[in-house]
Amino acid sequence: MRILLIEDDTVLGAAVRDQITADGHSADWVHRLDAASEHLRTIPYDLVLLDLMLPDGRGIPYLRALRGRGNATPVIILTALDQVSDRIEGLNAGADDYLIKPFDLAELTARIGSVARRYAGNPNPLIQHGDLEIDLAARSVHRAGRLVPLTAREWALFEALLGHPGQLFSKAQLEDKLYAFGAEVESNTIEVHVSRLRKKLGTSVIETERGLGYRLGRG
Amino acid sequence: MRAPASLRGRLALWLGLALVALWLATALLTAGLMRRELDALFDSALQESAERLLPLAVNDVLGRGPADENDEDDPRILGVIAPHDEFLTYVLRDPAGRVLLQSHAVDPAGFPPWDGPGFRSTATLRLYNIAALRDTVRLTVAEPLAHRARIAREALWMLLLPLLVVVPLAFAAIWLALRAGLAPLQRWRERLAARGARDLSPVSAGDLPSELAPIAATLDDVLCRLSAAFEAERSFAANAAHELRTPLAGAIAQAQRLQAETADPAARMRAAAMEAALKRLLRVSERLMQLARAEGARLRRDSAADLCPVVRILVEEQGRDAGDERIRLRLPEAAVLSDLDPDALAIILRNLIDNALRHGDPAKPVDVTLTSEGILRVSNDGLPIPPETLARLATRFTRAGSSAEGSGLGLAIVATIAERIGSRLHLTSPRPGATSGLTAEMMLPCASDSEVEKRDNRPSRHSVSSSAS
Repeated sequence: MRILLIEDDTVLGAAVRDQITADGHSADWVHRLDAASEHLRTIPYDLVLLDLMLPDGRGIPYLRALRGRGNATPVIILTALDQVSDRIEGLNAGADDYLIKPFDLAELTARIGSVARRYAGNPNPLIQHGDLEIDLAARSVHRAGRLVPLTAREWALFEALLGHPGQLFSKAQLEDKLYAFGAEVESNTIEVHVSRLRKKLGTSVIETERGLGYRLGRG
Repeated sequence: MRAPASLRGRLALWLGLALVALWLATALLTAGLMRRELDALFDSALQESAERLLPLAVNDVLGRGPADENDEDDPRILGVIAPHDEFLTYVLRDPAGRVLLQSHAVDPAGFPPWDGPGFRSTATLRLYNIAALRDTVRLTVAEPLAHRARIAREALWMLLLPLLVVVPLAFAAIWLALRAGLAPLQRWRERLAARGARDLSPVSAGDLPSELAPIAATLDDVLCRLSAAFEAERSFAANAAHELRTPLAGAIAQAQRLQAETADPAARMRAAAMEAALKRLLRVSERLMQLARAEGARLRRDSAADLCPVVRILVEEQGRDAGDERIRLRLPEAAVLSDLDPDALAIILRNLIDNALRHGDPAKPVDVTLTSEGILRVSNDGLPIPPETLARLATRFTRAGSSAEGSGLGLAIVATIAERIGSRLHLTSPRPGATSGLTAEMMLPCASDSEVEKRDNRPSRHSVSSSAS
């Protein structure tokens, strides 16, 4: 998934970004709301992590304005423990979930997954796909009852395809989901991940439309 | 007499008194003037009568022939045509003072001796002297002063009598006029009275008269500045908390990343120890921030809001950490409206639940109840606490046991907030109706029932937790 992190604290922001990246998502990290607007205008994000107190404004009015413009990107707000009013206000302003600072990074991973699943229309984290048993919450795949270890990037790629069965993703779209803005991406990276996934989960798990892109196969 | 407290009463009183005084003064002045005019009129009539009477009287006396010496004590009295009261009486005398002619009901002794023509007054009479025949006959016509006085008195009454009717009417008119004139003030006062004591939004001055509009504007200005000051204080507290929390959150997250990224077991253990220490530091600082807030910040809001969503969200958060549905929540069906700050409620509830989770029997659930009357109750099972410990629990830095981790501030913070919102934290152990456990209970400030009825017009409110009391 392509995630926008809006957080002005460099120490916390760096840890969060690293965690998201380690989970196989691509993260763009901005420190200010104006930069966030810039990013949101040009890049279709799958999720936004929004801190509520930023140098150039507060997060809740920003979120309200975002929703007012019709932007439906899932948003998780990062709030302080003693501001329960912020949480209620934030949820009312259109936040999908919230995390109380300081949060455990494992909690962050779980919340991102649960919001993404809710948006994909299937809040149930267990998916049966052919002979594959996929647990989106635990980020695990069993093939014929045996656990198949996936790297973070492989998982992220597989999850992106799983989230929208039937939809064709171009190579550029998949690169966007896996790598942050400005990251160096080898030209054949996606092909490499796809071929490894096919090796682990079966050749028919990903279909190739030559010259156009990839979509979820029959499994 | 004490002046009435209300502006309307004072104005009515003074206007009424001034009106009566002016009316009385006018009536008396008019009566005085009228008395002078009447005197002039009556004098002129008296003189006219005397001048008319004189030739007749002289004729009469002359017709009788020259005065007879023997006649001295036998003055002529004109025959009475019909008995009547005489307004005017007269005597006709000669220079020696002998009475030649007199009206029929007169005592000549009441007439003073002749002292020349013109008007005279005695204690009871107004006289007019006129002489004829070279001062050989002298006529004195008298009119009783009582007559004039009676007429003047009647005139005065005529002036004063309407006062009895008009003054009450005037009072009523003043009252009504004042009421209409002061109505905008009254409405403004009602708008002021209708708002909550902590509502700091500007009061609409509406159609206040121009004399009072500056007062309303000043009040609005003061309210506005007060509200800004409160807001600044609040956001300062929030900012300070943010400033403290953010670096801690960053350090904890970095420690977690370090544990995830390092392959060295020793480094991982050190990072875990760092994380644990940071979390302990965080807990203590959270508590201190809570305490600062409990003691300093504003705990009530301008307007009332439902407490149920706040309780629900907090219980859910605590439940996330506690896991396996250890917290059982009971809420009333209807909204519980209160002006208690949600963040203050969060501090109360988090500490009470935290305390129950830490010190209660880990195998038993914690019950959280909010009643429709605003009673918040958190109870847990566990060994009963001795009364002397119970009494000490709500004081700062006291912990029930030494095993469970906690800074020992929680209940003290709750007790401080309770005191500041005019409530009390009650700790009961064992729980009422049981032989074990602890119940913490406090009354939250709640909009009165009538206010609630007014606001959401619900016929009746049921408590789901009717058994829990």
